[in-house]
Amino acid sequence: MNYAGKKVNTKKMIILAILVLAAAIAYIFVSVNFKYFGYTMKIRIPKLAVMLITAFCIGSASIVFQSIINNTIVTPCLLGMNSLYALIHTAVVFFFGSASLLARNKNLSFVVDLVLMGIIATVIYSYLFKKTKHNVLYVLLAGTVMSTFFSSMQSSLTRIMDPNEYDSLLASLVASFSNINSDIIVLSLVMIALVILILRKELVLLDVITLGKEQAINLGVDYDRTIRRLLLGVTLFIAIATAMVGPISFLGLIIANLSRQLFKTYRHTYLIAGSALIGMAVLVGGQIAVEQIFAYSVPISVFITVGGGLYFLYLLLRNRRA
Amino acid sequence: MLIEGLTKKYDDKTVVDSVTFEIPKGKVLSLIGPNGAGKSTVMGIISRLVARDAGLVSFDGKDISKWKSRELAKRLAILTQSNNIQMKLTVRELVAFGRFPYSGNRTTKEDEEIIDKAIAYMELEEFQDRFIDELSGGQRQRAYIAMVIAQDTEYILLDEPTNNLDIYHATNMMKIVRRLCDELGKTVILVLHEINYAAFYSDYICAFVDGKIAKFGTVEEVMTKENLSQIYRVDFEIQEIEGKPLSIYY
Repeated sequence: MNYAGKKVNTKKMIILAILVLAAAIAYIFVSVNFKYFGYTMKIRIPKLAVMLITAFCIGSASIVFQSIINNTIVTPCLLGMNSLYALIHTAVVFFFGSASLLARNKNLSFVVDLVLMGIIATVIYSYLFKKTKHNVLYVLLAGTVMSTFFSSMQSSLTRIMDPNEYDSLLASLVASFSNINSDIIVLSLVMIALVILILRKELVLLDVITLGKEQAINLGVDYDRTIRRLLLGVTLFIAIATAMVGPISFLGLIIANLSRQLFKTYRHTYLIAGSALIGMAVLVGGQIAVEQIFAYSVPISVFITVGGGLYFLYLLLRNRRA
Repeated sequence: MLIEGLTKKYDDKTVVDSVTFEIPKGKVLSLIGPNGAGKSTVMGIISRLVARDAGLVSFDGKDISKWKSRELAKRLAILTQSNNIQMKLTVRELVAFGRFPYSGNRTTKEDEEIIDKAIAYMELEEFQDRFIDELSGGQRQRAYIAMVIAQDTEYILLDEPTNNLDIYHATNMMKIVRRLCDELGKTVILVLHEINYAAFYSDYICAFVDGKIAKFGTVEEVMTKENLSQIYRVDFEIQEIEGKPLSIYY
């Protein structure tokens, strides 16, 4: 990137950061009844934190995933992690009951989620990548099949489950921003820091990896190992986001592509930060609209899915023309 | 660089069958042969892009699998045909990637000078801020060569560098290969389909048939009527032009 381009992009980043900050402040202070100030804060601040963390996880995971796959219209949801999450939770309630420690202790069940999703994803996808010689289409196809497979298992379990158990399970499966899991904020922040720390060497290689497998190897990147580790990071980030708010499928696709459109660069420092910031602005802004304008009648995931669907169509048509 | 007993199988089909040869330093070596003879696979194995089933590729007395990938990247550059980039990348940024094995993502002042030189060497100054996907095939190929020059390696491996180029650009490409060897002292190994380019621009030729080496030697040794007819199984005539044996086939 030349000097002028760098300056413009830095400016864009600052404007985005200010937007996010403004949205965050607005979210906390809009129509606060000062009589119940303490109570309002107790609800709004954790919610805001969850939104910011989720946006960061989904935004960065989507950019990294797209760069690994070398395709800008895929999202990590295609790996089937959302249905795996649902399956794990259903299985826990089914086999151990909703009163078990595993189901009641949010932190414990979060750790179980991360470990299981991490292991399963790494085993399946690193194996598939090797077996198909990095043929991305096979891997994505396998992801779609796997996703259906997990969902069918999950729905079979719910069918033969005690109805009371199912009721309590539903609360953890259909999460939205009005029903967040704020108990795990600290633990997920620790996990995120840990993942970034472990992958710090691989994250630096992202720019080179977008040149393609052959060029990356030519430039001295241990390609297979790097891809495997990055994929594990993507899975864990998606798992964290899913555990906090439940599945929001299109968000990653939208924000990653908006970031690519806005910054027009290959530098992942810009792309990832941009994607995360846009995600934060969209989520917090959207939640303000949901709470203040629509009075909770429409959940934010509806907006994201509708908007994401339209944006996806636009991306497909644009790619076709080019 | 020494290649010994290289073997590669896809399922039950042996595509490379105990191939042994030595790459002469500071020369241009062309690998030729009919389709499916295994020349590209051999190239892939030498450049660590393809895994082998048996054999040794020793580079500076050490097998390439024992080299640190990053160190090898400072000694050996590879350029293949599959270069499709999804990113918005300018020519200069692409060339700058050649310095990655040395400096990572941040280029030093010294790197910038090397990048400038590489761009100037390939006469890409006026294009350096253009995006790669806006260039013609010939210009893009030159940009990639500039990147390889910036990578500053002793060995350069080119897989079918004249593919998809018209006669003008393909001939220019071959002249560049010659200059890389003569002016910059690089060892260039390339896979070629056009035998006359191989005959005119390289020092040594290695001809493959059915995964085995059919002939290895200087251009004059390999480019004979009998050898070529045997390798390609069509009729050949050899004519000397500018002191080089060129072939006519029909």
